[in-house]
Amino acid sequence: MKLGLVIDLDVCVGCHGCAVSCKQWNTSGTTGPLTDYNPYGKDPSGVWFNRIRSYEVGDYPHNKTINFPMSCMHCEQADCVDVCPTGASYKRAEDGVVLVDQDKCMGCNYCSWACPYGARELDRASGTMKKCTLCIDRIYDERLDEYDRQPSCVITCPAHARHFGDFDDPNSNVSKLVRERGGYALMPELGYNPTNRYLPPRVTRPIPTNDVKKKSLISSVKEWVNQAVAR
Amino acid sequence: MSALPEFEKRSQQEVKATTCYMCACRCGIKVTVEDNKVRYIQGNRDHPINKGVLCAKGNAGIMKQNSPAKLKSPLRRKAGTERGAGEFEAISMAEALDILEARLRKIRETDPLKLAYFTGRDQMQALTGFWASQFGTLNWAAHGGFCSVNMAAGGLYTMGHAFWEFGDPDWDRTKYFMMWGVADDHASNPIKIGLEKLKRNGGKFVGINPARTGYQAIADEWVAIKPGTDAILALSMLHVLLKNNQFDWEFLIRYTNAAYLVVHTPNQTGHGLLLRDAEGKPLVWDMRLTAATDGTRPSITPALFYEGEVQGKPVKSVMTLIAEEYLDEQYSPENAANICGVPAEQIERLALEMAHVAFKESIEVDVPEGWTDWAGRKHYKFIGRPVSMHAMRGISAHSNGFQTCRAIHFLQIMLGTVDVPGGHLAKPPYPKHIPPAIKPAKDCAPNTPLKGPPLGFPTGPEDLVMDAKGKAKRIDKAYSWDAPMSNHGLMHMVITNAVKGDPYKIDTLMMFMANMAWNSTMNTAEIQDMLREKEVGGEYKIPFIVVSDAYHSEMVNFADLIIPDTTYLERWDTISMLDRPISEPHAACDSIRQQVIRPDRDVLSWQEVQLEMGMRLGFPALTNADGSRKYESYKDFIINWQKEPGIGFLAGWRLDEEGNEVHLRGKPNPKQWERYAENGAFFEMHLPEHIRYYRHANKDYLEFAKNAAWVGSTHQIVIELYSETQQRFKLAGQGLYDGPMPTEAHHKERLSTYFNPLPFYYKPLEQCRIDEDEYPLFAVNQRPMFMYHSWDSQNAWLRQICAQNFLYMNRQRGAALGIQDEAWCWVESHHGKIRVQVKLVEACQYDTVWTWNAIGKQKGAWGLKEDANESNDGFLMNHLISELLPVKNDALDNVTNSDPITGQAAWYDLKVKVSPAAEGETGTWPTFPALKPLPNAHVAPDILRYQAHKAVNLERPLADVLSRGSVHDGQRGTANKE
Amino acid sequence: MHPAFSVIFFTVSSGAGYGLFIWLAIAQLFGLASLNTKTTLIAGGIALVLITAGLLSSTLHLANPKNAWRAVMRFKTSWLSREGVFAILFYPSALLYLLAIFMSDHETTTFIKLLALSVIIIGLATVFSTGMIYACLKTIRQWHTALTPANYILMSLTSGAVLLTLVLLSNKVFAASMAITGIGLLILTALTKAIYYFWVHKVTGPTINTATGFTRAQVRLLDTGHSAGTFLNQEFGYQADPSLLKNLKVGVFVLAFFVPSLLLAGVATDYLGVGAALLAFASVLAGLGAERWLFFAEARHVIRLYHGAQHT
Ligand SMILES: Nc1nc2c(c(=O)[nH]1)N[C@H]1C(S)=C(S)[C@@H](COP(=O)(O)OP(=O)(O)OC[C@H]3O[C@@H](n4cnc5c(=O)[nH]c(N)nc54)[C@H](O)[C@@H]3O)O[C@H]1N2
Ligand SMILES: Nc1nc2c(c(=O)[nH]1)N[C@H]1C(S)=C(S)[C@@H](COP(=O)(O)OP(=O)(O)OC[C@H]3O[C@@H](n4cnc5c(=O)[nH]c(N)nc54)[C@H](O)[C@@H]3O)O[C@H]1N2
Ligand code: SF4
Ligand code: SF4
Ligand code: SF4
Ligand code: SF4
Ligand code: SF4
Ligand SMILES: [Mo]
Repeated sequence: MKLGLVIDLDVCVGCHGCAVSCKQWNTSGTTGPLTDYNPYGKDPSGVWFNRIRSYEVGDYPHNKTINFPMSCMHCEQADCVDVCPTGASYKRAEDGVVLVDQDKCMGCNYCSWACPYGARELDRASGTMKKCTLCIDRIYDERLDEYDRQPSCVITCPAHARHFGDFDDPNSNVSKLVRERGGYALMPELGYNPTNRYLPPRVTRPIPTNDVKKKSLISSVKEWVNQAVAR
Repeated sequence: MSALPEFEKRSQQEVKATTCYMCACRCGIKVTVEDNKVRYIQGNRDHPINKGVLCAKGNAGIMKQNSPAKLKSPLRRKAGTERGAGEFEAISMAEALDILEARLRKIRETDPLKLAYFTGRDQMQALTGFWASQFGTLNWAAHGGFCSVNMAAGGLYTMGHAFWEFGDPDWDRTKYFMMWGVADDHASNPIKIGLEKLKRNGGKFVGINPARTGYQAIADEWVAIKPGTDAILALSMLHVLLKNNQFDWEFLIRYTNAAYLVVHTPNQTGHGLLLRDAEGKPLVWDMRLTAATDGTRPSITPALFYEGEVQGKPVKSVMTLIAEEYLDEQYSPENAANICGVPAEQIERLALEMAHVAFKESIEVDVPEGWTDWAGRKHYKFIGRPVSMHAMRGISAHSNGFQTCRAIHFLQIMLGTVDVPGGHLAKPPYPKHIPPAIKPAKDCAPNTPLKGPPLGFPTGPEDLVMDAKGKAKRIDKAYSWDAPMSNHGLMHMVITNAVKGDPYKIDTLMMFMANMAWNSTMNTAEIQDMLREKEVGGEYKIPFIVVSDAYHSEMVNFADLIIPDTTYLERWDTISMLDRPISEPHAACDSIRQQVIRPDRDVLSWQEVQLEMGMRLGFPALTNADGSRKYESYKDFIINWQKEPGIGFLAGWRLDEEGNEVHLRGKPNPKQWERYAENGAFFEMHLPEHIRYYRHANKDYLEFAKNAAWVGSTHQIVIELYSETQQRFKLAGQGLYDGPMPTEAHHKERLSTYFNPLPFYYKPLEQCRIDEDEYPLFAVNQRPMFMYHSWDSQNAWLRQICAQNFLYMNRQRGAALGIQDEAWCWVESHHGKIRVQVKLVEACQYDTVWTWNAIGKQKGAWGLKEDANESNDGFLMNHLISELLPVKNDALDNVTNSDPITGQAAWYDLKVKVSPAAEGETGTWPTFPALKPLPNAHVAPDILRYQAHKAVNLERPLADVLSRGSVHDGQRGTANKE
Repeated sequence: MHPAFSVIFFTVSSGAGYGLFIWLAIAQLFGLASLNTKTTLIAGGIALVLITAGLLSSTLHLANPKNAWRAVMRFKTSWLSREGVFAILFYPSALLYLLAIFMSDHETTTFIKLLALSVIIIGLATVFSTGMIYACLKTIRQWHTALTPANYILMSLTSGAVLLTLVLLSNKVFAASMAITGIGLLILTALTKAIYYFWVHKVTGPTINTATGFTRAQVRLLDTGHSAGTFLNQEFGYQADPSLLKNLKVGVFVLAFFVPSLLLAGVATDYLGVGAALLAFASVLAGLGAERWLFFAEARHVIRLYHGAQHT
């Protein structure tokens, strides 16, 4: 199995729902708490597994805004794992999920240097590296009903811009979406072979107008002939 | 795969359904609680509103419950200290209630108008309004007057439902969606769900907005409009539709008043009113009879276009007037482009695209059992024009918002997309007859409830709430000549008027859920001064201020008595169909909140407080003849109170005569709360197929609705393209009305200029009274999707997303003005000046600047530390806005800066100039003195490690550590499936 | 990347320590200098102190040092782990080597030769690993080059050679050959560094366009999604003043290479004495400090693309 996410940039409205949902699930989750520094003072900050950035493509007035959520890509070639000296970082053989064993991490930050996608954040209070767990404590919890066995960020997304599934299965929803919508990986040139894929904005279908455009335009009331319509 | 540990101890957790209140969208949530602490808040998948999803705010509920700004007990301003100085003493709830009772009793016994009771983000106006009318004061309203009454009025006076929370696009079927001036809105999650559906179905989404963020980010086409000019854009599109003969003849003839005949006798009494027969029925010209006939009759053949003489009077059909008006060159795309900044070709193309989708891609929904129209005729299809729209405060927060809103509805009606498949659908209990048949109460007397609700829908000058001399009777001057159709009151005028004693002085101002000393007020600093203002004798001009809040807001600081509310997770609450409910277009719904967390402080829900006060004061609806209490508690009241037999606050699980559970109408059911709790805290009743569309003219629906008390009659709801109500007020302004008329010149001008039976564009009022060359930039706000007004800065998670707002400016405009990215700048309006940090972006129309709403905070409020970014770098646009029109030394100087028709606050009419601040001038300005911490305030921690239980780590076995990398060591990280 | 003092100190100090020890062993093996037991022990001691100080400083950098011992677990894939393992292995061989020298009173037995060889190999391996820690990161193009380990090895050997010259001189042992070796190394290292600085300025690799996948128009950052700094900003957001970078580069060449070469030339030709050697080493250290600082300050992690940088 190769579990991961598909993010649909065509519909992400940048609401941050997924990011906060991740925060609330995971602060009491397997690698929690996700510490917040100066939560009620200057420059509040904290540990997040998922952040939403926004970009502008093109110049006004031909600009488009793209909301861009990023969390761990659960890369196939996860250098973050290979560089970790303690073995705290690992990629699960059974499903490809990349995790950090909180009991083994020494907080050297090295894995975060190896991650091109900014997916790892050090928790200063615990001194350990934390990252998206793909909600490992949800997706296998058989006491949850099947739909709920998905990451918190996926079930919460109001725009359904996030999809979870097995990329090894060509018939999974994620594989299909990637095929149909031209899902792409970020910075493929670095060779991490990230599992997560992004769906580009759809191309709008052109709407014809010649069939509703009259050759002789009406310019006064007199030109109308009443149609007989029964009330 | 190795077995995973047990991460969650389910046996120690409990999951309860309730309703989110991180905003007014009212999504269904399931809250997992562990040891009276929230573990997780999840969307309720069965819930009609959110179908399982949650937004950022809803997901941050834990940090609202955990807020250090939570009020801990009732507080009283210390005797001898100044109001606003923040010197409070904690008192018990019992004492607080006694103080309140004594005060209210005296007012009610003498002059109930001395109580002004206004509510902000109130979700049960049916209850607060009920309370006010039982108390007997006219002086009640919720926030609608400064929020979006233009949308409500524009819709309810045109098609019997509206944008805002009254209707929704048919997300499943629409193929073309146009969104006007919306950033997040009340249907926060539903819009997000809907937009995705639309795009997945291949529909086109056009976003009309000066800013391109959020929803507009995913729009297929962005229309960067100049603020305040949407009416001309809409009417220009109408012009294009007319020119190309692209409108729905059948829809107009059957369902609207387009064929009605209008008397055309300019400058005479009665001009512009509908021609009626002896029974008062509107007349149309019938083409077969070649005579005028009752236009409400079925099976006639009305002429859509008619001009002639009937009953000896010159008449024109409504459609003739419409065509005459909008075919005019002033509405040509070229002229419109000059005003709204949208290129002419784009205007024309958009109009034609809509015509194409409406008429060439129309849809038919088969109804095998048939649907019956108002005349009793059966049809087996619903014809749909799959073009839909949504509009909100970008339209309504302008002083021309009412007419603009109507202009947008005109487009929908011309295309035949109202309550049809793929169009804009009403949500039960809407549509209502036009307008809803409730008139505002006019009179009050000591110890006497009002005869009707304080707010209603006037249809002519005789419905206004004024004394014989034409002086306003309400403290906010609603329903006066200043704002005749102010259906939601003018909350933004209450403090100003009360302090001025214009129209009179009050004794007590009671506020619930409104931060009127800060972000929900125009002109913040001066309002704070007004709240402190004293008479010569030393008494405060507003003698007593009572605030119900759950948190340490800026408003709390100005209270004399603070009644601390519970949080939304701590209380029992109702979201009723008597109010704006949570219904979906095809389902009647309402819901409850149930207590999921036990409060750990001396707090009482405002619902309970109101009920308690009402019973103590002897409200007839709450007490028996002998003065004893009718209800034990809020829950008991909700079950047993009935508006009319069979109709109460909650529509689900009532009882029929035999004691079976029935919905919508029925006797009180003692088990009602339990039923709601079992059902996920909501009630949903799907409408049968055949009453889902054309409900304004759908007989079965209208009968169904009458039974549910949603409408008062089963007559067809005729869509009012032509508004006679508007014309009546216009005539009054022109001195041609057969009834009350204004005497002052500026009132006459106001009525004759801005009221019009057909919508039109006019330049917003403020902009007509300032030098636009000096203030060249439009300045507007947007709701951030991750914050709710002022109340989310206390949220440790949400404020990390945005603790400081910027003024966003077009990059090219910035370059032209010599403004660098992230420079501190002065922003000046006719009224005030602020210092802010500018960000240059593409996502902003060239002549506009915008910022996120309500990020700036007063130091010390909301449990934040004094160095918090919100109060040192963040800012409010409100300092630049005035609740009065710009001073020009004329009769309009003291007139509200609002829509002249509805009294809607004109927040977005603001124009400013921006210039770089001097070297070294950084930080926000103005700043305000820090609020004192409340006596028993929680201490805000420096580090937060919230956790409902200790984490269960997933351990990696040693053998695995030693043996496996990701792929480098030849072993694929991902094992092949066996 | 943020130039953390602990890491700069670690690489400079332990680099010099390994270099010193390696040269000590080479000198022993090839008879480059007429070493005696005392000088060898002193030099070895100094090297171990430098190495140990460096390693200790590097553990200061850890947020959770109690797990530092686990760093040896992933020798298989992690250069950091390898560095740790080599660093640990280095101690027994180095100590054994010094013990053997002490016991044999500086007679070059085969055993000692073998030990010397192992010290050289392990030492080089350690320094190479240090270099590879940086070089293996595809995320930082300024580091992801063979020049990085080459640079680390050369820097270590150069500073070690200069330091050995100093130790020899201060123990009144003939040091001209060591000084000449030093000069040769200084020139070679300077050349490598010059190539590096030339190379690093050629912008290549991912851009904001490839990072986001929008390659047909200019991409600009609108919002980072958080208003205050985050771990990512703190760790990767470091931005040095470009003019400072330029000036420091001149400083690197003057201090790390030019001045010490001149001084060592004086030493080799006997014009200058132990003071000059001391100065030369001090100058090398200062130059290396600057070089290391620049190595970090100029490195731009690809995550910056997501925070608005157009390229790295
Ligand atoms: N997340 C969140 N949701 C909320 C709220 C909140 O505070 N936070 N508040 C709730 C409340 S009380 C309300 S009233 C609703 C309001 O919901 P919205 O209507 O979404 O309110 P605003 O944010 O005021 O949005 C106004 C939008 O119109 C644009 N605009 C401004 N002027 C014009 C104009 O003249 N023409 C056009 N076409 N566009 C214009 C602005 O750029 C902005 O995008 O949201 C509700 N929902
Ligand atoms: N510049 C500018 N100003 C604006 C707007 C704008 O677009 N631009 N928009 C306007 C609009 S549309 C609106 S609706 C207003 C909104 O303005 P308000 O209605 O004032 O909304 P809030 O600022 O959220 O204040 C609501 C108060 O309710 C309190 N509260 C929260 N939860 C509870 C609870 O459970 N119980 C009780 N009793 N109190 C609670 C909060 O602490 C807060 O003090 O702002 C208006 N102000
Ligand atoms: S929840 Fe969905 S729409 Fe919102 S930011 Fe996340 S991915 Fe985008
Ligand atoms: S995104 Fe970063 S943390 Fe996640 S697997 Fe890839 S490299 Fe590792
Ligand atoms: S910070 Fe922890 S997980 Fe990351 S490389 Fe170091 S030890 Fe491994
Ligand atoms: S999968 Fe889970 S941990 Fe990862 S971003 Fe989503 S919610 Fe967070
Ligand atoms: S939109 Fe968000 S905050 Fe509002 S009710 Fe729904 S989940 Fe709660
Ligand atoms: Mo509002």
